[in-house]
Amino acid sequence: MPLSTLMQTLVSGVMLGCLYAFVALGFAMILGISHSLNLAHGEIVTLGGYIGYGLWAGSGLHPLLLIPVAAAALLPLAFLWHWMLDRLPAPRALPSLALTFGWALLLQALMRVLWPGPHRLISSPSLGASTRFGWVTLNHGRAVVALAALGAIGALWLAVTRTRWGRAIRATGLDRDAAALAGINVYAATRITLVLAMALSGAAGVLLATTHYVYPTAGVELTLLAIVLTIWAGVGRLLTVLLAGLLLGIAESLTVAISGPAWREPVIACLLLASLLARPPVD
Amino acid sequence: MRGAALVATLALLPPLIGFHPYYVYVLSTAFLFATLATAWNLLAYGGQISFGHAAFFGLGAYGAALTSLAGVSPWAAIAAGGAVAVAGALLIGAAAARLGGAALALATLAYAELWRGIAQNWTAVSGGGAGLVGIPPLPTLAAVPLDLTRGHTGSYYVSLAVLAAALGVFGLMTRSRLGLALRAVREAADRAALLGIRPITWKLASFALSALLTGLAGGLYVHMVRVVEPDLVFGRFFSIVPLVMAMFGGLHSVLGPTLAALGLHLFSELLLHPVAPALHQLPYAVALIVVILYLPGGLASLAKAPRD
Repeated sequence: MPLSTLMQTLVSGVMLGCLYAFVALGFAMILGISHSLNLAHGEIVTLGGYIGYGLWAGSGLHPLLLIPVAAAALLPLAFLWHWMLDRLPAPRALPSLALTFGWALLLQALMRVLWPGPHRLISSPSLGASTRFGWVTLNHGRAVVALAALGAIGALWLAVTRTRWGRAIRATGLDRDAAALAGINVYAATRITLVLAMALSGAAGVLLATTHYVYPTAGVELTLLAIVLTIWAGVGRLLTVLLAGLLLGIAESLTVAISGPAWREPVIACLLLASLLARPPVD
Repeated sequence: MRGAALVATLALLPPLIGFHPYYVYVLSTAFLFATLATAWNLLAYGGQISFGHAAFFGLGAYGAALTSLAGVSPWAAIAAGGAVAVAGALLIGAAAARLGGAALALATLAYAELWRGIAQNWTAVSGGGAGLVGIPPLPTLAAVPLDLTRGHTGSYYVSLAVLAAALGVFGLMTRSRLGLALRAVREAADRAALLGIRPITWKLASFALSALLTGLAGGLYVHMVRVVEPDLVFGRFFSIVPLVMAMFGGLHSVLGPTLAALGLHLFSELLLHPVAPALHQLPYAVALIVVILYLPGGLASLAKAPRD
């Protein structure tokens, strides 16, 4: 592979990795706070993408302006999830897996009915342009997506490490009973985490839809990606999710550049299987 | 016992009393799904929840299709499909033997996706995304009057027989040493190990038995629909449907999953599909959500409730 192609592949991989890390955040946060696995995570991100697409196609506004709207549109799911997770008996891992598998199916059916026909892409002209820097061509859309993802991850990291409620969230995730004994309102900490997770998932969906086609079953692969990144990062860690995302993004770009896109999905499934066997995130 | 004989007699009737071939076909696929749910429940009997039974179904389907296309009799091909599924199950069962419930569930999910990807890309063997066509139909039996073994009627009786066999295997299992060992492993793996029961051996046995029934159903299925594609047989549908049916019917119960399979499949195909074809997976999604949130024991717990 010539050096210029390699450079281009690495840059694409880094930008893809930022997006992947952003997509995985919601899953990692819900697992961290409630020890439940959200198999509908990819479908929720995809739903955010469809909402962003619908708003963009309807209003013609710049896609980045629509991110807060799509994030807010998914907030009811946060309260629904909180109510459902509260009903599950501990340990929650297995029942939450089955429950959210049902929700994944339900959301797929919903999206199939609401947005039938061709795959959707937010193809804003301002995001489609690209600039050349020496060997590397930088697509504006992908660069903006990567920057937005980095910004969101950084802001979230600052919030959970530097604020009181952020520390409450981390304490609740580490040991719910001890946190409650220490006077932390674990119910409120769980709720705010779910609200943040759903809002970030909706935002990630809009960003995703500006660079990738969305379709009703697009979430299946996103969920698998999110699980892989969470295992690599370790439960309850945010910045390492970014590192894991970068690693996966670069690995994927190299794989596609060398062997073509056909083996992408089985490679992700293989990574998930190997990661689970080496380091299961839950019992 | 009289009740069972009555049900068996009733089950033999539909093709004989002139049901429309479409209804005969829907009933035979319902029996096939009930077989899958029973096979899935057999694995769950030892506490192992699978989110990837499509792997075993697809391996059985492809194993049978390839053997059949090589010129072997379909009956032998279906048996070969069952053997391929067992081999695939022992592989994941051994690799994931030490994983806990949720991690095992995720591993089986990834395993089915992995096989779907392999089938899509290994074009020389699997025909790639387009799959394989021209699989011969089930042969008619010379000894039986022709119209009972031909076409949809033939498939109907074969699927009914396979379901009866699966229910028989499940019933025998619950009363055998295997069932006892699996109950012990499920309820208290550490204590069972202390008593000299090797959990891994028995778990692998239930993996093999469950995959055998699932693979046989997969082989039967390809000889009924006569095509095989990766997205069809390794798709999520065949992982979800047995899981939903068995959980809705009641984990560990003998007849619950079969009743749930018949109810859900007939509702989805006969009532929902003509009205809203895009929503045909909806009943399974709703059934799963409702059962987890409101009825953890499934339908079987309703039947038992008054006696408790």
